[in-house]
Amino acid sequence: MKYAKRLFFVCLLLWSQLSIAAEKVVVLTSYPQEVITQFEAAFEQAYPNFRLEILWRQSRDAMTYLHQPHPSVDVYWTPAQRNFATLAQEGAFRPLDIDLHGLPKKIGGFQISDPDGQYVASETAGYGMAYHLGELQRFHFPIPDDWKMLASPDFKGHIALPIPSKVGYAPMLMDTLLQSEGWESGWNLLGQIAANADLAQSGATFISDDVGRGRVAVGITIDFFATSAIANGKPLRFAYPKKVGYSPAHIGIFRESQQLAGARAFAQFVLSEQGQRLLFHADIRKLPVRPAVYAHKPTGYFDPFAAVLRAAYSYDMAAGLARQELVSALFDALITRPHQALTTMWDAIRQAEKYAPNDPRIALARQHANWLPVSSAQINDAKLQQMFIQRNDQTALLEQQWDADIALHYAEATQLAQAILGEVK
Amino acid sequence: MKRTLQLTLLLFCHQAMADESAVTTTDATRTAYSQPIPALTAAQRPPFLQGRSLVRQVWVIPPSENREIAGLGPLYNRISCIACHAGNGRGFAPATPQEPMRSMLVRLSIAGENPHGAPNPHPVYGDQLNENGVPSVQGEGRVAVHYTPRRIQLNGGEHVSLRQPHLKFTELGYGAIAPDVMTSPRIAPPIFGLGLLQAVPESTIVAQVSAPKPKGIQGKVNRVWDALQQKTVLGRFGWKANMPNVHQQIAGAFVGDMGITSPIFPAENCTATQANCQLAPSAGKPELSAQQLEATAFYHFALAAPQARQPQDKEVQRGARLFQQAQCAACHTPTLTTGEFPALPALAHQTIHPYSDLLLHDMGEALADHRPDFQATGREWRTPPLWGIGLAQKIEPRASFLHDGRARTLLEAVLWHDGEGRTAAQAVINMSVSSRRALLRFLQSL
Repeated sequence: MKYAKRLFFVCLLLWSQLSIAAEKVVVLTSYPQEVITQFEAAFEQAYPNFRLEILWRQSRDAMTYLHQPHPSVDVYWTPAQRNFATLAQEGAFRPLDIDLHGLPKKIGGFQISDPDGQYVASETAGYGMAYHLGELQRFHFPIPDDWKMLASPDFKGHIALPIPSKVGYAPMLMDTLLQSEGWESGWNLLGQIAANADLAQSGATFISDDVGRGRVAVGITIDFFATSAIANGKPLRFAYPKKVGYSPAHIGIFRESQQLAGARAFAQFVLSEQGQRLLFHADIRKLPVRPAVYAHKPTGYFDPFAAVLRAAYSYDMAAGLARQELVSALFDALITRPHQALTTMWDAIRQAEKYAPNDPRIALARQHANWLPVSSAQINDAKLQQMFIQRNDQTALLEQQWDADIALHYAEATQLAQAILGEVK
Repeated sequence: MKRTLQLTLLLFCHQAMADESAVTTTDATRTAYSQPIPALTAAQRPPFLQGRSLVRQVWVIPPSENREIAGLGPLYNRISCIACHAGNGRGFAPATPQEPMRSMLVRLSIAGENPHGAPNPHPVYGDQLNENGVPSVQGEGRVAVHYTPRRIQLNGGEHVSLRQPHLKFTELGYGAIAPDVMTSPRIAPPIFGLGLLQAVPESTIVAQVSAPKPKGIQGKVNRVWDALQQKTVLGRFGWKANMPNVHQQIAGAFVGDMGITSPIFPAENCTATQANCQLAPSAGKPELSAQQLEATAFYHFALAAPQARQPQDKEVQRGARLFQQAQCAACHTPTLTTGEFPALPALAHQTIHPYSDLLLHDMGEALADHRPDFQATGREWRTPPLWGIGLAQKIEPRASFLHDGRARTLLEAVLWHDGEGRTAAQAVINMSVSSRRALLRFLQSL
């Protein structure tokens, strides 16, 4: 009798699951359709009592939407580090009371999840170099294995480099490079790579396209655009630098969620072994944050938890986010706007070095070439950072001053190098 | 016999020619349907890439700071073009009643026709059930797809289980849908090669109506309303050839499937009785600008059709001969020639292999939706092009076939042919096992 009663309730529960309309879980995201498609189908199959409703918004637009009264969103699941940090500060998230076992908060020294546990990393992507093997072989170039290799004059005209103020993933790329290489050395390296490069104003699919069709040999980009293209048969390859920078995506449940059970179920699913393995799909190719799933990775798939054992560095995510606009503005001042002058200058310096490597004017020219309007001490100045987050007339004036100073330094460096070349001729 | 050999020779000559084509792609990967025609110039690349971005874009519910990608809803089925056309390919039908329609929709109409001859939309739900609504607007409801199995025995002993779909509306947001409302489930069709099909001269399509055909096969054109020209013209796109051109097909999908208005369809997809829908914010008038519509259309024009693969394979060649002998080619015309095409001159005067006559054919009772659409009766369907069909399940593993996605395999699709296609289906049933395998190899090579 007792078992019959229990069976009756089990049947009743199953029947109710089948016959009652699925509850809606509203998820705010900016993921591309391919990611949404895979997770939507798998989640709804795993949890047939819930139905996913996607609200799609880019990062800034999402914040505007979330700052409206009662925005009716249950889960935020997206790559937008600053939004998560801001929302956590505002107390928008509830503590993630789901099973987080097996999900480290760091990849080596790279913090990927909120130390306070209000939101956690749901996947990450890494920065690196997409390359066309045929083009590399055609020009007898080595396969790049680090950023430094791309500073070689051999690569001139064969690289695509994204402009961080134009391409969404690029600010973090630049900052991870600057933090891993050091402020001055990092800009020096970036300047020399940029002198070899076409500057890309559009996103990573375009860089992958350009590499895929051999327009450039190497494209500096975020991994998944390239690795997904590779998985789908495109003739390009991807290499990570020695110190890999990461761009994690996160998931958090809103304090005002009206569908807490569904929100928890979705977050749990995304972080589960099943959810994390979806990231291996050829159309997604993100890096799981659950190390255990790498046991099932496709052949050749990059494992950040293994890579960090080979070369680790500490990345300060909070510092990187705070100075993001400032770094992008510096990139535009040092590289984007004077790109022609930068290229001419490095051409001259490299030529002069070839003919007169010990000439003391070379060192002076390099000093001018590597001059920075903002020092490593100033970069973390909150006032200066704020000036570039909320731009005003002063920002424009400061940028004009930078432009003028940089133009002088580049001109001086060019003249010094050309003087050496003139003497050689 | 002589005629068959001639036809086969013609077929393979054309396949050989296709290898040099400037408008087809040899890509046979999961990106095969996303390749631009090789003849695309550097100057044509920016609009192609802009169109690609728009097709890949997940759209935003207004109001939004990103005005250029806003406009989703008030009522909609899916949030992007590629949500249904994954990899620019075809969609699929749900496997169970519990599974939502992810790349499929249901058209609705009541008896009669509108002043232009189009189906009369349902007074409350309009001409398509939109499952979703923006936060202030209730979605229209859900559709559960149930199946009745049907077994067919083939020569050689093999049994094939077909599934006949039946629709059941659930969670209806605006009241019951009467049983006499006409419904027609449609999966998303692939979107490549449409420029080439539009470049086929009307005279070529019309001439096929009177061309000699095997007994029992006829074919007719649809005449449909061109919303831009404000007149009735030849229909050539859509499952019932109910769309006149790529621009209108795209604009129709934007407004019908995503609730995004455009210069061709400037009104939101709300019916008179859907008050909240009418009050919902719009992202602009229209939401998709004329320039964005042009770029999207250009992208569709410039998407190359995949070339046939393994034409030298003996089994594929045998399959091609059987395709002719079984009368499949009577409607699935292997070769057409394009005419002038000023919008993308590279598409002009090309010999193409769509395997379609772009005509309507009576496909029998089992496939009928009993929902007339302009001059297409409830039993008539446009011959769907077969080019690239062998890659369909590589691009979307769940891709299914026929207008409602009931066929999970190409063999199932063939076996559903009835009416004018009955002779072909019967020929396939009667084939030896090895002949059938060769025929399917041929289809897979397309």
